[in-house]
Amino acid sequence: MASTELDAVPIEVFLVEDNPGDVRLMQEAFKDAKVHINLHVASDGVEAMAFLTRQREHADAPRPDLILLDLNLPKKDGREVLMDVKRSPALMSIPVVILTTSELDADVLQSYECHANCYITKPLDLEGFLKVVKSIDGFWMSVVKFPLKARP
Amino acid sequence: METVEKQVSLALAAIGAVTLLVVGLAYREAHHTTDSVTWLLHSHEVLAALDGVLEDMTDAQFHARRSIATGDRLESSAYVSSQAQIRQRLDRLLPLTSDNPRQQARLRALERLNTNRLRFEDSAISMSRKTGPEVALQFLRSDAALGAIQAMRQAIAEMSAEENALLRRRQSEYESSRRKTPVILLFLGTSVLILLVSAYYILERDLWSRILAHDALRQSADELRDLYDNAPCGYLSLDSSGALLRINATLAAWLGYSREEVLQIREARPFLTSESVQKLDAAFAGFKEHGRIEELGLDMVRKTGSVMPILLTADAIRDSSGRYVSCRGTVFDITGRKESEDRLLKTVRDLKRSNDELQQFAYVASHDLQEPLRMVASYTQLLAQRYKGRLDSDADEFMAYAVDGSNRMQKLIQDLLAYSRVGKTGIPLREISSEHALTEALGHLRATIAESCAVVTHDELPAVTTNKTHLTQVFQNLVGNAIKYHGADAPCVHISAVKNGANQWVFSVRDNGLGIDPQYFERIFVLFQRLHGPKEFKGTGIGLAICKKIMEQLGGKIWVESQLGEGSTFCFALPEREGNSGID
Repeated sequence: MASTELDAVPIEVFLVEDNPGDVRLMQEAFKDAKVHINLHVASDGVEAMAFLTRQREHADAPRPDLILLDLNLPKKDGREVLMDVKRSPALMSIPVVILTTSELDADVLQSYECHANCYITKPLDLEGFLKVVKSIDGFWMSVVKFPLKARP
Repeated sequence: METVEKQVSLALAAIGAVTLLVVGLAYREAHHTTDSVTWLLHSHEVLAALDGVLEDMTDAQFHARRSIATGDRLESSAYVSSQAQIRQRLDRLLPLTSDNPRQQARLRALERLNTNRLRFEDSAISMSRKTGPEVALQFLRSDAALGAIQAMRQAIAEMSAEENALLRRRQSEYESSRRKTPVILLFLGTSVLILLVSAYYILERDLWSRILAHDALRQSADELRDLYDNAPCGYLSLDSSGALLRINATLAAWLGYSREEVLQIREARPFLTSESVQKLDAAFAGFKEHGRIEELGLDMVRKTGSVMPILLTADAIRDSSGRYVSCRGTVFDITGRKESEDRLLKTVRDLKRSNDELQQFAYVASHDLQEPLRMVASYTQLLAQRYKGRLDSDADEFMAYAVDGSNRMQKLIQDLLAYSRVGKTGIPLREISSEHALTEALGHLRATIAESCAVVTHDELPAVTTNKTHLTQVFQNLVGNAIKYHGADAPCVHISAVKNGANQWVFSVRDNGLGIDPQYFERIFVLFQRLHGPKEFKGTGIGLAICKKIMEQLGGKIWVESQLGEGSTFCFALPEREGNSGID
């Protein structure tokens, strides 16, 4: 895939993360990204679903190309968000990357069973974290071809 | 017993026989004595009669001469009466001598001689009337007349001699019998006495032994009854229909009834709770066949209504033909046992809960601490990365300390998390290659090994039934330590495994490092215990504690053999196990 073709079109990334520290780190990490990324953030599961289904103030929200989802979220758990997304015909084609601190085997298994596209444990140190974001950038933003946007 | 009875019968028979003998002998002796006396009197009579004949003969001779000489009629009649008396005496002698034919013969001769003598005297008297007294007296003095008298005297003397001899013989016989009889009687009497004494002795001995045996029997019966009644367990007997036959005092006391009350109720069921009755009926269904109930847990209802937990063990009693006759049961009071069991169970439950809570707490705490710490570490690192050299040197130093501190804390929390994870229950056990586990551990340590130029070697390692993750962790910690605490030389680590006497695999991780003072052998396995400061060797003091916890979890054992400066050998033994099982 030639990344140059996509340079003009920004990629919509939807980050569901309750920890503002992580959100900020993510923003910092994406600063060095090769592609133009529009990062949208929701801090709990309910807000995430409102954004994805364009309810309330999110009526004009774009359809994300990639969802980065934390599992432990307030109000509505990340696992439920994942299930809702993968059950919804409109949303199921959006790739979901689980990005969490949980290393539990059960969480990993359950996520894949709910059709998560990939599962990443947040590294504890900055270097590791930047490396992971860089990998996401390199793989999901540059290598992977997304389905055509069915925008209304 | 039979011999005693035989002995006694024999003795009684002997006593009877001897007594009969004594009676017979006494009778015979009495008879004999009477006889002897009769015969003695008889002889005296004969002798007296003979003496009388002699006297009468002299009288007759005297009166005959006087009659002849005087012609007195009185003398004549005296003469006649003397002669008649002689005749009478001779007649009397006839029956007296009838026992003795020789004396009878002599008596007959005497009678003839008397007749002869009488003729001479009668002739002389009639002669005196015819020829006068002179001639007559002359005739009486004639040799023939005197000879006749002499002959008679002679014959009487012979008879008397014979009778005297007879008398003497009879007297001596009588005397000897009188001397002999008391001796015999005394002997027989003594015999009877001896027999009586022996019979008494036999009876007495037998009686005593019977009395003693009876006493011993009674004593042992008393002892058995005491044991039965005051046993620390209850006893009961049921007949073939299930009715109560007997119970001991202990059981009655437990029930709170008198023994008579219990036996009047007759049935065992009223003394049990309804669940226990069902249990008992179920257990007794096959009892007559298999003959035993072992430690059946039941609840007994006391008179007061309170419930007492018991264990019932019952045995079927059969007769010689194998027919079920009765049932004998033993009842144990398990109130104390049950209480302590309940207490123990509660303690175990409480402990498990508190342990689970603690484990959960450790896990949650270390996990949740990690989150904010990740922020601290990430942002101090970001700060250091972006602003190093752009502020003053103090700021650089402070940032370095902050980064180092957050790094160490992260390591500590990670290790704590690993430690708390070991406690999780239900780890799966499989047969795995311990060599693979080691290889995996060495893979994790690749960078460390390369950095320290360590040489890690191992023997061929066995397949063991255990948890691979745990075994890998133990290898990683032990080999990691062996490399970390090295001496002046480059670290050399060797891993081997041998089977011990208990059929367990004992793994050894031997190094050429610093060694450990034996006084710290226990301490090094305790959580957070370290022998070095963070400047000498980095570490959290959790690695060996994790190894120990894993070994405890697997049912194994871990220990160290070392001398300061001589290197250390860490050993752990894995228990022998079947594959594909899990432990809680």
